[in-house]
Amino acid sequence: MTDFVELDVRPILRAGGEPFGEIMGAVKSLAPGQGLRLFATFKPVPLFNVLGAQGFTHAARELTGGEWQVEFTPAAAGKTPGSGAGTDPASGARPGAVPATAASGGAWPAPMSELDNRDLDPPEPMVRTLAATEGMAKGEVLCALLCREPVFLLPELAKRGHAWRGGFDADGKTYRLLIRIGAGQGGSA
Amino acid sequence: MQGTTLSRWTLSYFAVAVVFLLAAQALMALGVGYPSAALRAPQTLIVVHCVTVGWLSLLMCGALFQFVPVLLARPIYSNMLPLPALILIVAGLGALIAGFLQLAGALPWMPHCFIAAGILLGSGFAVVLWTLGRTFARAWPPNLPAQFVVVGLCAIAVTVTFGIVFALGYGGYLHSALLAKLRVHALPLHVIAGLGGWLTFTAFGVSHRLLAMFMLSPELDGPTTRWTLYLGTLALAIVVGAGTVAAATAGGLEIALSLAGLAGLACLALYGSDVVQLYRRRVRRVIELNSRMAAVALAHLAAAVLLIIACAALGGIARFSGALVFLVCFGWLTGLGLAKLYKIVAFVTWLECYGPVLGKTPTPRVQDLVVEPRAARWFWLYFAAVDFATLCLFTGTPLMFRAAAAFMTIATLGIAVELVRTRRLVNVKEALRLPSGAHAPRLLLTFVAH
Repeated sequence: MTDFVELDVRPILRAGGEPFGEIMGAVKSLAPGQGLRLFATFKPVPLFNVLGAQGFTHAARELTGGEWQVEFTPAAAGKTPGSGAGTDPASGARPGAVPATAASGGAWPAPMSELDNRDLDPPEPMVRTLAATEGMAKGEVLCALLCREPVFLLPELAKRGHAWRGGFDADGKTYRLLIRIGAGQGGSA
Repeated sequence: MQGTTLSRWTLSYFAVAVVFLLAAQALMALGVGYPSAALRAPQTLIVVHCVTVGWLSLLMCGALFQFVPVLLARPIYSNMLPLPALILIVAGLGALIAGFLQLAGALPWMPHCFIAAGILLGSGFAVVLWTLGRTFARAWPPNLPAQFVVVGLCAIAVTVTFGIVFALGYGGYLHSALLAKLRVHALPLHVIAGLGGWLTFTAFGVSHRLLAMFMLSPELDGPTTRWTLYLGTLALAIVVGAGTVAAATAGGLEIALSLAGLAGLACLALYGSDVVQLYRRRVRRVIELNSRMAAVALAHLAAAVLLIIACAALGGIARFSGALVFLVCFGWLTGLGLAKLYKIVAFVTWLECYGPVLGKTPTPRVQDLVVEPRAARWFWLYFAAVDFATLCLFTGTPLMFRAAAAFMTIATLGIAVELVRTRRLVNVKEALRLPSGAHAPRLLLTFVAH
């Protein structure tokens, strides 16, 4: 039986806030074998991918009023094979198997600037975002707004040594990408 | 790490696929196969399999190795396995063609050609399914467009299984009464699972996302898209399930095919309404050549559906099945394939070459790698030739059909030359072509940095 830590981000979402940092902080503080029970005002589909990549399986249940409860279970505890990038299937997936960068935990400084790339033709958002990172100093943070998950940009950021955090806003339409310059060995979700 | 990189062997698949398309069109122009020969003559089967396996299936496999990781935002399970899969499929197709040439009396009888074809094609597609299946496992449950691809992959498994039964039959290995009956009666199931399930249904999933991406349209995942998936899956399940039972018991296929046809028709109507939405609600008013030509291919799909309904109503399905399959293969699937190929080759080349230096130095745009007005002329010639060829098949004028096929070959050759020019960066201004740190692309292979 998995032991769950509960996290209710509904108040943050109702206030128009961004709970991504809270959620990742809670995941980071889980003991081995512990799961996370999350309450949200919408079905947090992007998180399924993000935490799936860290070896979590999920079970989502709709509550009343369009709200959702999702249980994220570490794959080892759930006896299911790990799925997702960053985990090594041969060694058995477990939470935290993704190498965390020095800057991946804890608070990041506020973004220096925000790029709204939502109305640009692909791959212009990628070009603009990379161009903006070139002019920034180490440790600074850039926020880029995109209309879809930038699948080709993320590995390029990692290759250039930047850390990133990303996810869809509550409306499911805007992908908010935070990039911290020179803070990564690989990407951090 | 999330995200994905380029697929190493996708361009090799595309190159082999285009060679098979050109070969098949040249054979048609030379009068090999239908309509100069019978619909089920070995010569026709050679042309048909060059188109469906050599061209369309390799094109789709190559595209999926690049596209499934994009759909799932996960890296491909293996960037190496696509190469042995390609070699196995091409070798299997070679063995299959050799087998048909023996049936036609053009080659002396060699035993085991068909069994070799069955084993090689079966294992080639199995490696494709394994590679993509393991990639899907990384992001299970898949999102809606990816679910179309999953159904398409199930359909290719069914198509290849039927194909192996037929190959064993041609080779004289079928001693089981049940399999022998399937061999005689299940041909429509093989065709529908292949053209409808594998190629068309996968194209639905891929086109949903690509059209939205290239025209900046909203992603559709509402009830119409979900019901397109459900009804299409139902139609395929009826074809495969009820159809196989009917074929195995030598019963009529009419009931199963009619029921599946109704579900399939509803699925097509819903897909059509989604596509109209994607074009209407696009943010980008002026669209690129690939989206314009995709619209022409979609119009050919609509025309094919209307003609199939008309032929079914007037009792002419059997008589015109060759013309209808031709229209689906060349007007719809090949038209869409060439249109998307034109964009994908440019994008992959751009990302491979300029990705490492983006933002560090001035780089060309993706559109600088292509010259659309020149390519547009080849596309229009292609579609005009296809329409004329279809008309010739309906009116039974084989000589005129050969002339149309010759124009199709010329147009495809023109598009292929444009693709090579794109890959060679010929259209990019000299000053921007290869800035320091950019990676000069090779023609058939993509450089994948780790």
